[in-house]
Amino acid sequence: MIEEADPVLFEIFKNSMHSIADEMALTVVRTSYSGVLRDNMDFATAFCDEEGTLVAQGLTLPGHLGSVPTALAAVMSRYQNDINEGDVFCLNDPYEGGMHLPDLFVIKPIFHEGHRVAFACVSSHHVDTGGRVPGSNAADSTEIYQEGLRIPPTKLYAEGKPNDTLFRIIEKNVRAPTLYFGDLRGQLSACHTAETQFLEVVNRYGREITMKLMRDLTDYAERVARAAISKIPDGKVSFEDWIDDDGVDHGRPIRLFVTIEKIGDTFKVDWEGTAKQVKAAINNTLSFTKAASYAAIRCILQADIPTNAGFFRCIDVSAPKGTIANMELPAPCAARGLTGFRMIDCLMGALSQLVPDRVFAASDGGNTGISVGGYDANRNPFIFVDFTCGTWGGRPWADGLDGNSNIYANMASQPVEVIEAENPLEILAYEFIKDRCGAGKFRGGAPYCREYRFTETEGVLQIRADRQRFKPYGLYGGYPGEPSVNIWDPDGNSTIMPPKFTETVKKGEIFRHEVAGAGGWGDPLERDPAAVAKDVRNEIVSRQRAFEDYGVVLQADKVDEKATQLKRAEIKRLRGWSKLPAVLREKPNIGA
Amino acid sequence: MDSLRVGVDIGGTFTDIVLWASNGEVIVKKVSSSVDDYARAIINGLDTVFEEYKLTASMVKQVRHGTTVASNAILERKGAKTGLIGSKGFRDVLEIRTLRMPRLYDLAWTKPPALVERFLRVTVDERVNSAGDVVKPLTVKEGERAVRKLIDEKVESIAVCLINSYANPEHEFLLKSVIERLAPDLPFSISAEVLPEIREYERTSTTTINAYVKPIVSEYLETLEAGLIASGINAELLLMQSNGGLTPVETAAELPMNIIESGPAGGVVGARLLAEKAKLGDLITFDMGGTTAKASMVERGEYARADDFEVGGGILAGSRLLTGAGYLLKTQAIDLAEVGAGGGSLISIDSGGALAVGPESAGAFPGPICYDLGGDKPTVTDANLILGYLNPHAIAGGSVKLNFEKTVTAFEQKVAAPLGLTAEQAALGARRVAASNMIRAIKAVSTERGRDPRQYTLCAFGGNGPMFASEMALELGIKKIIIPPAPGVFSAFGLLYADVEHHYSKTLRVLLREVEPELIGNAWKKMESNAADQLKRDGFEPKNQSLSRTASLHYKGQTFELTVPAESGRVDNALLYQLEQSFHSEHELVYGHRASDDEPVELVTVRLIAKGLDANGDQLTFPKYEPNNGETATSRKAYFGQSTGWQEIRVFSRSSLVKPRQGPCIIEEYDATCVVPPGSEAVLNEDGCICLIFNE
Repeated sequence: MIEEADPVLFEIFKNSMHSIADEMALTVVRTSYSGVLRDNMDFATAFCDEEGTLVAQGLTLPGHLGSVPTALAAVMSRYQNDINEGDVFCLNDPYEGGMHLPDLFVIKPIFHEGHRVAFACVSSHHVDTGGRVPGSNAADSTEIYQEGLRIPPTKLYAEGKPNDTLFRIIEKNVRAPTLYFGDLRGQLSACHTAETQFLEVVNRYGREITMKLMRDLTDYAERVARAAISKIPDGKVSFEDWIDDDGVDHGRPIRLFVTIEKIGDTFKVDWEGTAKQVKAAINNTLSFTKAASYAAIRCILQADIPTNAGFFRCIDVSAPKGTIANMELPAPCAARGLTGFRMIDCLMGALSQLVPDRVFAASDGGNTGISVGGYDANRNPFIFVDFTCGTWGGRPWADGLDGNSNIYANMASQPVEVIEAENPLEILAYEFIKDRCGAGKFRGGAPYCREYRFTETEGVLQIRADRQRFKPYGLYGGYPGEPSVNIWDPDGNSTIMPPKFTETVKKGEIFRHEVAGAGGWGDPLERDPAAVAKDVRNEIVSRQRAFEDYGVVLQADKVDEKATQLKRAEIKRLRGWSKLPAVLREKPNIGA
Repeated sequence: MDSLRVGVDIGGTFTDIVLWASNGEVIVKKVSSSVDDYARAIINGLDTVFEEYKLTASMVKQVRHGTTVASNAILERKGAKTGLIGSKGFRDVLEIRTLRMPRLYDLAWTKPPALVERFLRVTVDERVNSAGDVVKPLTVKEGERAVRKLIDEKVESIAVCLINSYANPEHEFLLKSVIERLAPDLPFSISAEVLPEIREYERTSTTTINAYVKPIVSEYLETLEAGLIASGINAELLLMQSNGGLTPVETAAELPMNIIESGPAGGVVGARLLAEKAKLGDLITFDMGGTTAKASMVERGEYARADDFEVGGGILAGSRLLTGAGYLLKTQAIDLAEVGAGGGSLISIDSGGALAVGPESAGAFPGPICYDLGGDKPTVTDANLILGYLNPHAIAGGSVKLNFEKTVTAFEQKVAAPLGLTAEQAALGARRVAASNMIRAIKAVSTERGRDPRQYTLCAFGGNGPMFASEMALELGIKKIIIPPAPGVFSAFGLLYADVEHHYSKTLRVLLREVEPELIGNAWKKMESNAADQLKRDGFEPKNQSLSRTASLHYKGQTFELTVPAESGRVDNALLYQLEQSFHSEHELVYGHRASDDEPVELVTVRLIAKGLDANGDQLTFPKYEPNNGETATSRKAYFGQSTGWQEIRVFSRSSLVKPRQGPCIIEEYDATCVVPPGSEAVLNEDGCICLIFNE
């Protein structure tokens, strides 16, 4: 059929691969039972060649970049000679191909006339996979055995026949089997979609050409990536940041340290210097550390690079074993998402020294995990899992976004009215908070609060938050954002809670989370006073902060130019900067 | 000829006017749009037609209108200064949106600014829970405080959307009465009246959009009506809605959110009628212009409908997975998928050495290289010219001259040489790449919804639709293409064939097996009685009213619904059982699986579509073409691939297709050019359509 030049055939093939991966993702979204999948989009769809090399990934969660190759490798190494038509594999064990237990990988080999031609893969975050805390997401578990059912690479179907033993074991170990199997059906259905569509492609082009095109697609991604990387100046940079604590060793900060070396058309990312693995469940698999590293670099490359193995080839990621970046048994990891987000902040901090004009200041530190679970009067389980994040750091050319998913996720918020209709919860507030964003020529994004009132008799509330003690940093003179806050009973006793905790919650009790404000970029004294006035009018910044941080004096809603000039000169003098600090973790003390 | 029906479709560049006379005669007029006052072009255009064809204004009985006034107001942010009242603790629902962005890894992403800035968003201390119980009553005093604040800010319109008002609207109605009392002349939109459905962001956004465009749409419609009357046209004015139905001017002014995607709907409406009249079966519509290509579907005589869409978001996203690019509007609309590919799309070579087409476009100015208006970047239209598909001298009946030599030179240098290809090889390649981009739009409405495009006929229109139809069909394995008459102005034609339509909905959230059937029955009954009243006001006797029920359901626990038709009549357990079965089947069709029978199904929203049927519908015809048995007028060289090389092919007019013509050949018309590739055959059907059929 196609007889013209290869670049054409190739482009068409590339479009069809992406559309298969995206269609798989749409199938998951539309059939999913849990808000975590539909709204938080906490899943990944991927398409691999017959050897398990990643060819295309759906546009879902950047945090899952690079998760699929590891899972495929685990299946290949275990079942090398026993992969048959009609098989479907699954796994969730982070020590054998997985990321953390809630993420169940479903992998289906695809055959054409008896030959294996590809693999379809979907990993979905299930709301509960057993273990000691509803939601299977607790930050304060201390070994993987507490975190739920652990599934090594196994056949869920063998030559079309379901593995009843496994299905029954799952059924008995998870708190909400209907939900679990409903979402699992969505995964199977997505694999089925991929199989049907891909076989059409094979039939059209022929097996040999299709296999070659899949290899070409990874080579292409590599070429595009290397071209983009070459344009970045060579250099070696490093950055340090801290996680508040792990929720078990309260108040003990955890160090993240990364060194990035850019040479020619490659990147080396090394996490040497990062803290030893911790007791609580925020340890990473190496695959998750890689995902963060790939994602951060991807953000600074100005090119449309297909997400596949070719891109990964340009980036070498290493982390010493036994660290929080590359855990060893029996480290727990259910809440490791937090570490991934914080690694993004750390990577961006390093990259800001390499390409200062392309990197934003620290965002909110990633999402806060909120789970509430328990049983109603009839002993029916309820489980609510929510992830929330939403501010961007100030950028070298514009303000940080207010109310937008963190760059490492693309999560939507679950609608308040749906949460209330389906869970024993009332949401009392979900809106921006004043004076929390880091000041800057381009200010950080304004964070919001989210307030939950529990309406069932009793349950367990589990929170995984961060950035209480270590604020989101500002860049090139931009001030840091304000920290996150956890408050129990905000209208009554108003108890400040630690960043991570698990507590019993009773009817009528209220929990309020305030997301951290993002860091600013550039000197606040260079911010257009009209933009400051606008923020004041919109009650994102108070008059006092406008005056103290930005040196802007307002008369009613108007900027008093002269007074502003004077105030700015005064701040400049008090601050005594000889040059703009590259990174600011605390506001300058000018004795205001 | 004693009565006329007029269809007017306004685009950014042209205003298309179509007149249909009761004796079956059809007149088409294309005039330049008057951007400062769209109504003027309509009035002047009609005057010209009357003069030219010796008609009088009094013959016009009905004017049917598709307009982009409302969507432009949003895209250009020129709507009213709007205030928004929300619940305490929820001031930023409109701005926080769903948090999601349409692009990954893009630090330069910027959210579309909220239509109501924060200082104009106020909240009131009140609370209703999800069961509809008042937890904290709203006082009149509190309501007055909020409304006064907005009045003091001199807003021109007010939107009201409170949390859980879908379950109990009493606080919203209290605010309504306060607004009516304190500011009797101020337009307002209440979410309980606009969209009584669950999900606060969707409802807030929709209500806000309605409030935001209301003053501008009202003013425009008043100007238009006054202009029509001034030129002696005393006719009924109907507006095309995004859902493919017409609505009287009064309801359009009240609920302008329903006419946002008025423009592109017309073509799909025309295609639907065509499918019915010419018995074409199920269609995929493909509407390709200069900058975008849109796909939709007509199935079992109905449009595919979407329950929501993003104004201005379609092209940016590139994938339906990625949302957040535009302004979310939750109203039923014809399900159109759009990609940024058209005749003006730029052809380039990316850093990986692949041939890329779009999404950037040369626009109307400077346009393609061949227009010779200063454009120096190769476009899809230039590729078509090089291949011999476009007339090498001029298009649009000679009114646009083309520069062939300049185009070839530039194309060779910028595209062909770097790829090591000849100009024609590269041009053909670019066409195929453009097609593969546009296929995403077709897949979005077909395979992504579980439909196999090979079982559909492709109905292609728009300025570039006929040019690309065969390429799309080949790529998708579609065997039959229909090119309707006057494909370049087909959207205006569609207006003539639409019915008046009103949509109603109500969120219930009940388990089908546990609910009292009466509860559902009463919800439908109430909507049906409202609908009947509305249609009566619109001038439809009961015999010309058609009311059809649908329901949106999901498996309990799922968060996305599927909408299926429901039986009319008394709601009892049998009817609910039927509904449940339809849902299982639809779920299986769309997603390839169904849950077991004991899995509870939840009914989320009941809906009603009310139609006023066109009494003259049966007489409607398509423009006639005088048969012309003459042989071809011209011929030219064209290129269809290496195996055949350059060959001399014939160029026909549409009317000479009364005899089947074998491809390769070209069909040239005033407003479009159709490519008939090798291995296919083109023939005119009774309704004046070109049928292009691929040989087995």
